[in-house]
Amino acid sequence: MRLLFKVQAGRCKTTGRVIGIPWPHMRAVFPFLALTVVLVVGALDAAEKPVSFSLQIRPLLSEKCFSCHGPDAAHREAKLRLDEEASAKAERKDGAAIVPGKPEQSQVWMRLLTSDVDDVMPPPKTHRTLDAAQKALIRRWIQEGASWGQHWAFEPLAPVDPSLPAGSAGLDSLVASAQSAHGLGFASAAEPRILARRLSLDLTGLPPTPERADAFAAVAAVDVNAATAAYVDELLALPTYGEHWARMWLDLARYADTKGYEKDLGREMWLYREWVINALNADMPYDRFTIEQLAGDLLPDASTAQVTATAFHRNTMTNDEGGTDDEEFRIAAVKDRVDTTGQVWLGLSIGCAKCHSHKYDPISQEDYYRLFAVFNQTADADHSDDAPSLTLPTPEQAQVTKDMEAAVTVAKAALDELRKADPHAVRRDGPAPEDSPIIAEAKKTRQAAIDRLNAHRAGIPSVLVMRELAADKHRTTNIHQRGNFLTKGAEVQAAVLPLPGLPVNESGKLVDRLALARWLVDAGNPLTPRVMANRVWARLFGIGLVETEEDFGALGSLPSHPELLDRLSRSFRDDGGWSLKRLLRTIVLSRTYQQAAVFDAQRLEHDPANRWLSRGGRLRLTAEQIRDQALAVSGLLSAKMGGRSMMPPQPDGLWRSTYNATNWVTSPGEDRYRRGLYTYWKRTTPYPSMTTFDAGSREVCQIRRIHTNTPLQALVTLNDPVYLEAAAALAMRMLAIAGDEARAERGLRLTLIRTVRPAEIAAVIAAYRQAAALYQSKPDDAAALLKAANAAPAQGASLGERAAWMLAASVILNLDEAVTRN
Amino acid sequence: MTIFPDSALTRRRLLGQAGLGLGAIALHGLMGCSSRQTVVDPLAPKAPMIPARAKSVIYLHMAGSPSHLDLFDYKPELAKLTGKPCPDELLKGKRFAFIKGVPKMLGSPFTFSQHGQSGQWLSELLPNFAKIIDDVAVIRSVNTDQFNHAPAQLLMHTGQPRFGNPSLGAWATYGLGSVNRDLPGFVVLSSGGKTPDAGKSVWGSGFLPSVYQGVQCRTVGDPVLYLGDPPGMSRELRRGMLDQVQALNGIQHANVGDPETLTRSAQYELAYRMQTSVPAVMDISKEPKHILDLYGAKPGHVAPTDAMGDPRAHYKGDDPTFANNCLLARRLVESGVRFVQLYDWGWDHHGAAPGESIDETLPIKCQQIDRAIAGLVTDLKQRGLLDSTLIVWGGEFGRTPMMQNDVRDTLVKGFIGRDHHPYANTMWMAGGGIKRGVAYGATDEIGYYITENAVSIRDLQATILHQLGLDPFRFSYRYQGLDQRLIGPTDEGKVIAALLA
Repeated sequence: MRLLFKVQAGRCKTTGRVIGIPWPHMRAVFPFLALTVVLVVGALDAAEKPVSFSLQIRPLLSEKCFSCHGPDAAHREAKLRLDEEASAKAERKDGAAIVPGKPEQSQVWMRLLTSDVDDVMPPPKTHRTLDAAQKALIRRWIQEGASWGQHWAFEPLAPVDPSLPAGSAGLDSLVASAQSAHGLGFASAAEPRILARRLSLDLTGLPPTPERADAFAAVAAVDVNAATAAYVDELLALPTYGEHWARMWLDLARYADTKGYEKDLGREMWLYREWVINALNADMPYDRFTIEQLAGDLLPDASTAQVTATAFHRNTMTNDEGGTDDEEFRIAAVKDRVDTTGQVWLGLSIGCAKCHSHKYDPISQEDYYRLFAVFNQTADADHSDDAPSLTLPTPEQAQVTKDMEAAVTVAKAALDELRKADPHAVRRDGPAPEDSPIIAEAKKTRQAAIDRLNAHRAGIPSVLVMRELAADKHRTTNIHQRGNFLTKGAEVQAAVLPLPGLPVNESGKLVDRLALARWLVDAGNPLTPRVMANRVWARLFGIGLVETEEDFGALGSLPSHPELLDRLSRSFRDDGGWSLKRLLRTIVLSRTYQQAAVFDAQRLEHDPANRWLSRGGRLRLTAEQIRDQALAVSGLLSAKMGGRSMMPPQPDGLWRSTYNATNWVTSPGEDRYRRGLYTYWKRTTPYPSMTTFDAGSREVCQIRRIHTNTPLQALVTLNDPVYLEAAAALAMRMLAIAGDEARAERGLRLTLIRTVRPAEIAAVIAAYRQAAALYQSKPDDAAALLKAANAAPAQGASLGERAAWMLAASVILNLDEAVTRN
Repeated sequence: MTIFPDSALTRRRLLGQAGLGLGAIALHGLMGCSSRQTVVDPLAPKAPMIPARAKSVIYLHMAGSPSHLDLFDYKPELAKLTGKPCPDELLKGKRFAFIKGVPKMLGSPFTFSQHGQSGQWLSELLPNFAKIIDDVAVIRSVNTDQFNHAPAQLLMHTGQPRFGNPSLGAWATYGLGSVNRDLPGFVVLSSGGKTPDAGKSVWGSGFLPSVYQGVQCRTVGDPVLYLGDPPGMSRELRRGMLDQVQALNGIQHANVGDPETLTRSAQYELAYRMQTSVPAVMDISKEPKHILDLYGAKPGHVAPTDAMGDPRAHYKGDDPTFANNCLLARRLVESGVRFVQLYDWGWDHHGAAPGESIDETLPIKCQQIDRAIAGLVTDLKQRGLLDSTLIVWGGEFGRTPMMQNDVRDTLVKGFIGRDHHPYANTMWMAGGGIKRGVAYGATDEIGYYITENAVSIRDLQATILHQLGLDPFRFSYRYQGLDQRLIGPTDEGKVIAALLA
């Protein structure tokens, strides 16, 4: 069957222009030659600026052509590469693929246009056919001289435009120009109390008190900029800041409290979580933060903290399933380290290259295994003891260990002495004689000493860490053909990724994890600052400047504001000395960030996803924030920081891992009210409300949580005991003041922070009154509800009143606005 | 109340809620529509890409992997070899989970006979299933490349032996939505006392939005977590409280205008309806006796597995948990649920420890499922639902024709077992446009290797998607810059044309 070149005739919607393309010479006879071919040019401004290779052409070639004419040599057709300028422009038998300035002599253009099924590109069966606008773009680019460059993300960071103001104002001016290009402008500034809640939730994960927000509003009325700057500095200095941003990092680090796979037994990793919190609170520069986590153990005179940091890559899973090949799962862990490093720092999905050379990004299978070799030299080997680990006893614990070890030695020596002295203990052939009472007693003493020592050791904090093998124990690394570790290909040497434009290995120099980490933060590596600046932006606006945070490669999305991304990256790395707090400060002090979240018709029409930043982001809170907020506004939240993971109430019978009899044991006292960050994370059965609110399982690195809106979420905040308890406690706070109106207002303000409307107060009172009326005749029901919510006894209020206020409080905690930051 | 006004707002919500571009959500009906479209629900029913033969899937996974050699794959030659050392060529270059050195061959201790018009061989352990053999297609040539449980289960259900990818049910609900919006589109039911070895990831949403993950419905406690209101709260009160939530959300929406607020209100209404619809569909007590008996179901049964380290030692043949789940599966499909996934744990018959043998435990497990699977096929058929419901049954791999020898290498009653075997396995399918009464594929005379019509895991997945009306080669989701597919990046998988009716 002859496939026809599908044409679209019509007018460009925006310009009304109709553009005709001269019909080229065809080797095949086209049955509908008489048909006028009309191509539509989609974009109005396309005619004004020269076509950008990095941002317009390369992405197109990558999507449509690279799978056969790209970096992957194994699938390359016709020996043609369109990812390399030399190959694309080289003279060939039937003419060069691209002849600058001459589309009609360029095979690329001719093949796009032909109707010959054998010649047309891309082949129809690949479903990659270009649309008319895309074809026109290619033609115009060739016409303009076919300029070349790298994939945009590999290009060096653009220099800062000196004509723009410094800091947040410069950021705003770049946003403003993009807005005006789309007929948009800034929204008004957010109301101060709403801004106070936004800042507090974004920087610390917790809401402010209404009183703090009022105080902010009062000073903001005098000088909003000074007030905001001071408030931001106050928030950034709170220890809750480190807890909140650690949560984001722990998703990347796939931090969990269990090993994963079938048995999914527990392991001790919380000291790493503590390290992340501390590092963020100390505003450890991101280059050091990077180096210590990837290679802290290789630093000269590494401190225990630096070694603890390497737990980042010990968060990989360990497979304790019976009958598994430890080497297979050691290698799976090493591959996970390679993939995670690529995603977290480079924003590249290099994992594809473990089976075959990457089809779109310049990462060959050999490159993958050279990077794999960097990580292939650590001592961990998927053993059930999870070695190596670092134990970190307190000085007292260390002393007790010494004493107990001495006691074991003494007990052993005493037993040996007794055995020498006891003729019965001398064994000959036949069964061992029974112990004499005195020896039995000494054995008991020894065993008791050993048991005491083991019990003590189990209580000493420890954490899994990376440890490099001695040079003579180094493993050789081979390519795994098709990703199968049993099918070994050529041997390879460790190396960093040879990405175009980025620094390469100094020849002959050993590339270990430390060298790799330094390469990631090298001044010549534009990916690391871009990826991190984009990630921080995405957490504050809900969407990154590069929407595909996980992919800065050829198939990822293009930056909406390329100049802004580079400016932020430069200010993060060069001016800010890799300070995350300074980066956050620059962004949140911008007009862009402080806009009100307004959804008027014009913005919804022209900026539906807020790509042009024409309003403040309105984001659903994360799973942890929703929990923490409920506990905070109800006064239940424990301020305790750090330590082992906690087990807040969870329904019975969820933990049923195979060959694993461990149970969920609800934490006592205030520990059930700790921040969500400290909730025990079991990989095969994560805490239900976490996954319901879009957290992953932490089995692998999760770059971003995709927020959903589901009925199961409603059930959590309505009925999960944590939220019942929070509602009961919030009701107590409301009951502490007199009058229905005042109580309703108090509950709303504690949760929403902003000043509230009479209609809102009326709705809460209506909820209360309906419940109170029903409970008046049913005190037993009220008592049952309060009991289920662990409610504290209240002075003066009846059971019915208390239960009714609890339900009114639950209404408040379930509002869309409550689980959202405006 | 009007949840979704006909306005541009709603479309933005759809695109905005996932934080993804238009291409990311395959709402086929929505593509190319004007911005005044009203579809907003990521689980709204969507038209199939190609003509669909099945509307729903019931996937019965026997976690641990039943022995094909003792149920479906009759090997008289193997029986003659019992006790003889395994030939070298079957061991060279092979990796086994537990077998060490040279194991002995092990024929099936069970009797086989032919059944139905199709004359298929089945062992004595599945007498009820034998009666419906003419309704199913037995695939004797399934093979995998994973021989440990967790990775093999992940490969079977997510297309990759690693974590992080969406499960079959998540793909199906993402591609097709769900008809009944008062119930989850993808329901998971488990039995056997344990979750599958790979944990919740086998019904996870991977890189798809979490709205597509399976919802585990439980037969003890709340059928869906937190479904039940707290004690002391009446339905009337719940309604009253929700009305105030909606009133307040209405004020918020009037002042801010974020369509997401309307969506949240809609989800609260759905949650409210689920509070009655889920317990109703999960209540099998009103099923007539002849239907309960058809499955061997017993309403109200609570499996006594809590706090048991290893429930296998306590298995009883009359435990109705799996049968109850099969009946629930029918009720769910009947109610329009797109994908029902059953996991039954306890099929890992190594013979190394008590309660996990071929000779004693396998018959008990078969007793638990035999009547139920036959009942399920029969019941769907008599209700006219079999044509539109695809049933898939199987484990994650096969079992060795050799006796496992790491603990003992002689035949001891209650300790006869087989190791994991990736090279050959039997599964069966029924309904949903699959041929009836056929056997497909074959293994060699000892059931070690496949000799004809090998079926890979990807072939199975391609076939399941195809029957649902999702073109396995084009059905994809953009993630990490690639159009990710259930069947993986290569086109090795194929729809098994010979099985299609």
